[in-house]
Amino acid sequence: MIVCVAVVGHQNNPLYIQSFTEADDALKLHHIVHCSLDVVDERVNNPKKSGPMLNETFLGMLYPIENYKVYGYLTNTKVKFILVTTDLDVKDADVRNFFRRFHSAYVDAVSNPFHVPGKKITSRTFAERVSTIVKSFGFSSAA
Amino acid sequence: MRTEENHNTVEVAVYAEFRSDWTEALKFYEEAYHTLREIVGVTTRLPPIQRLVEIKSVSEQLHFKISTLLLHSGKVTEAVTWFRQHKNTYRRLVGAPEAILVHWEWMSRQYLVFGELLETSSKATQNFPPVILGSSSKPLSEWEYYPAYYYQLAAHYLSEKRSALELAISMSEIPNEVDIGADSVVPSAYVGQFARLLEEGDNVDMLPLTDEGYTHYAVAEGKRFRDSLEIIALLKKAYESYSGIKVQRMSSFCGFQMAKEYFAEGEIGNAKQIFDNIAILYRTEGWVTLLWDVLGYLRECSRRNGTVKDFVEYSLEMAALPISSDTGVQKDTGPAGPASILQREIVHKEVFELVGEASVLTKNEDSSNLKISADEFVQLEVDLVSPLRLVMFASVAFHEQTIKPGTSTSITISLLSHLPLTVEIDRLEIQFNQSSCNFIIANAQKQHYVEDGDTLKQRTETAPTLSLVSNKWLRLTYNIQSDQSGKLECLSVIAKIGSHLAICCRAESPASLDSLPLWTLEDCTQTVPIKDAVLVFSGLKSTQVEEPDPQVDLCLGASGPALIGEVFLVPVTLVSKGHAVYSGELKINLVDVKGGGLFSPRDSEPYSMESHHVQLLGISGPEGEDESQLDSDNIKKIQQSFGLISVPFIKNGDSWSCKLEIKWHRPKPIMLYVSLGYKPNGYEPNNAQMVHVHKNLQIEGKNAIVINHHYLMPFRRDPLLLTKNKEALESDQPEPLPSNQNTVLVVSAKNCTEVPLRLKSISIEEEDGVERTCSIQHGNEELSDPALLVPGEEFKKVFSVNSNINISKLILGTACLRWRRDLGVEEKSASTATLSSWVVTKQKLPDMNVELPPLIVSLECPPYAILGDPFTYNIRILNQTQLLQEIKYSLADAQSFVLCGYHNDTVYVLPKSEHIVSYKLVPLASGMQQVPRFSMTSVRYSAAYQPSNSSSTVFVFPSKPHFKTAASTIFRVEESVANE
Repeated sequence: MIVCVAVVGHQNNPLYIQSFTEADDALKLHHIVHCSLDVVDERVNNPKKSGPMLNETFLGMLYPIENYKVYGYLTNTKVKFILVTTDLDVKDADVRNFFRRFHSAYVDAVSNPFHVPGKKITSRTFAERVSTIVKSFGFSSAA
Repeated sequence: MRTEENHNTVEVAVYAEFRSDWTEALKFYEEAYHTLREIVGVTTRLPPIQRLVEIKSVSEQLHFKISTLLLHSGKVTEAVTWFRQHKNTYRRLVGAPEAILVHWEWMSRQYLVFGELLETSSKATQNFPPVILGSSSKPLSEWEYYPAYYYQLAAHYLSEKRSALELAISMSEIPNEVDIGADSVVPSAYVGQFARLLEEGDNVDMLPLTDEGYTHYAVAEGKRFRDSLEIIALLKKAYESYSGIKVQRMSSFCGFQMAKEYFAEGEIGNAKQIFDNIAILYRTEGWVTLLWDVLGYLRECSRRNGTVKDFVEYSLEMAALPISSDTGVQKDTGPAGPASILQREIVHKEVFELVGEASVLTKNEDSSNLKISADEFVQLEVDLVSPLRLVMFASVAFHEQTIKPGTSTSITISLLSHLPLTVEIDRLEIQFNQSSCNFIIANAQKQHYVEDGDTLKQRTETAPTLSLVSNKWLRLTYNIQSDQSGKLECLSVIAKIGSHLAICCRAESPASLDSLPLWTLEDCTQTVPIKDAVLVFSGLKSTQVEEPDPQVDLCLGASGPALIGEVFLVPVTLVSKGHAVYSGELKINLVDVKGGGLFSPRDSEPYSMESHHVQLLGISGPEGEDESQLDSDNIKKIQQSFGLISVPFIKNGDSWSCKLEIKWHRPKPIMLYVSLGYKPNGYEPNNAQMVHVHKNLQIEGKNAIVINHHYLMPFRRDPLLLTKNKEALESDQPEPLPSNQNTVLVVSAKNCTEVPLRLKSISIEEEDGVERTCSIQHGNEELSDPALLVPGEEFKKVFSVNSNINISKLILGTACLRWRRDLGVEEKSASTATLSSWVVTKQKLPDMNVELPPLIVSLECPPYAILGDPFTYNIRILNQTQLLQEIKYSLADAQSFVLCGYHNDTVYVLPKSEHIVSYKLVPLASGMQQVPRFSMTSVRYSAAYQPSNSSSTVFVFPSKPHFKTAASTIFRVEESVANE
């Protein structure tokens, strides 16, 4: 199950962060997302270590942390997408698929002429689309 | 049975290790480890909890051995993978819920031990192995190679253990009393087994332990340790390790957890320091929810410390954070409370209640450290980088960029606050760099604050209301005027809220407004501090107050161009027209018009020792004022191109003048800048305004006199100069002079100015240190009456040069002229001092080559002839060489003369002797006539000679003239002639 998704801007500032848990661990998830930016930075700055992933937007699993797995995605405009999931056995293809759909939702949201680039995404449509994508995450893998 | 087998395997492994057979040892340890896993579900020898503890203990030992061996042989990747397998295998084996704390403790220990092993091995090997990712289905993350990662998780499991322990203690509070058996539990001889020690006299017996007993024992053991210290130590390790490899967000997270532990332990100082560090990162990256949480802790820290100022600062910052309702962090365990608008309002109210009440206020009865005494005052400074800019920030704009002193302009003060609720400001103090301009804006509804004693002197404006609505600009426009010239800058705006709080905002210009941090990321429209669209982009917090208009005239009265060499006087006149001049200063600057500079050290000046082309020599005071009379404290400083002179006191209506003495050494136009600075009032010695008057004048420096010279040979006497013939065509070198001959040198001086000049003398002076190689004769040294030279006129003086020494070069020296301007009608009345100030202009005469001519031809002909009267025409050819010279000559016929003698012939002139060819001529026509043309060729030198036209002309009188014999007709060669 996906517990948190986030869009992080150029200055590593959160543009959109949404958690999908019943428990009160939203803040913890914020911390996890924030910490995962270190891994993204490391991957981007040291592309040698992650050789085969050169020029790929999908950054793969960023780091394992107790009970969670964090995945990252870097768009061409250097906007980062972070996904936190509690599933311990996740297929890369599912995550890629998720990020692809998430990316297109993001592109649609920022293409809104009333959206100012670099500002937080407050679009309700975007939030709805994201929650749909998040909900369908588990099912699509089953299907 | 399996246990026995396993035991044997371990023994073999230990033996192999003892023999340093690492591979063998590793193999058997791994085998033992795998066997152990098979036992997990099989053995039933011990009760379930203790059985699990035993198995875990054994596996821990084996795992430690395996990890050590792997890391020892540099197989870091294998070790990390092994650890992961180990962790994954046993993580699920939690065991009975009442003994879960044992599991967490065990997990924590696994991470800690492996982290330490990894750290020591990576220290030992130094070089980090290349990370192989994606080698299996579960690729290793690079973080699994950092020891900090393991420390962090060790701390995590330890905190899990602590909470499990707390739970266990709370559940077992009643059986605490019957906890008699726990003391006697000891570890048995086998790894991971515990037994009850039963002492009966000297008999010591080991009894097997029930699971309940073991759980009691574990809880009792757990109580003995302070886990939080351990957790802090682990987190500190992780924090420092992450910081060391510049992983700042991870380290911040560890620091956050560490600070939380400190906070829970009551070590407020440590906690606050770490929280402050972390808050900086969250502020810069705009993680508002995380910042909110940290600030909540910080606020609580300052509440416990009782530092009111910090409490107010953190509270205000929290209240001003851009937190909307949909952050998702609704409930939180931290002291900050849920991140929501409601909570922001609560924080806001709390802090304003604290500072608003004059009475002692305590928020929480139990932590009543926070109080403000009646005379205490909290002043918050908000500068450009302060996080409190969100709380309040001030933009100040003058409506005009420059103002005249005494006139007023408008100033707009705009305040913005992001606090969630409206803030009522009691009064605003606007402070400027000129303190006389400071003023106060008082809130009309809270008038009583204005009546302070010390503020009565200051200007006080009253605004009907001063309420600062959330996210809305409060704009106030007032008039302002300054009498003091210079920069007028608004420094700060101090808002006084209640009797205990003042927020001092550094004034910012709208033109250079930095956007507010955090709020810029919010999706809300950005507002501007001033409605005027022009001022938004150009408004500044400072304005320039101009000087008062000067009421003193400064006149530079120079006329015409200056002449090089003379001391050119520029009269400067100050006329006071309304201002008296106190402590005036006159600054003089000479600047090259073309910008090349007046100083050129590379130019070699042949006739002036100074390297300056234009020089300020001095400043002479007004007529009748001697320099010695000037006060000693008066400044007078003269440099080559800069002068400073103090001006005495000038009464209103009076005038004062002086003269600048400037000398040109080169023709150069210069710009003369004169500026007068003075104080119109004498009674304010220190802070009186200086008033400045500037004048400039361009002055051309021109050459006064052009000196030329040329040489003449004696009339009708021509030497044969061999180099002349050779080189005349090739180069423009000056012609050589014949040696041992008298030569005439004519020096001419031409007035090339537009004013008449007086010329006193022309002379040729010997250069210093260079001996003249010839004798020069001339007439009077000085002219008895200085010659007047009108513009364009030329004056000539003739010198006779005789070089009788046997030399090759003629060094003549320097032509030296003494002249001055003609004073016109004042010439006679001028004092001798003025007349004697002659300007000397010098010009070096070029050196001349000399050579001995082998032949000299002289034509001897009477000065005039009479019609029909025969005369003799002699041509003397002088051979100066030691050789016999063959000369071919011819004489052409002339219409006006009848001649007798050879037309053509060849003669031989003996060495050092003279040959004379003579003719008898009878003139046939009167007037200027050309005598028969003589030409000759020297065979030896193959040089032809023809006399010039002028030397072969003679005047023929029709009849014999009658001359009066008078001395005046006798010309001397040396006599100087004016106006030829």
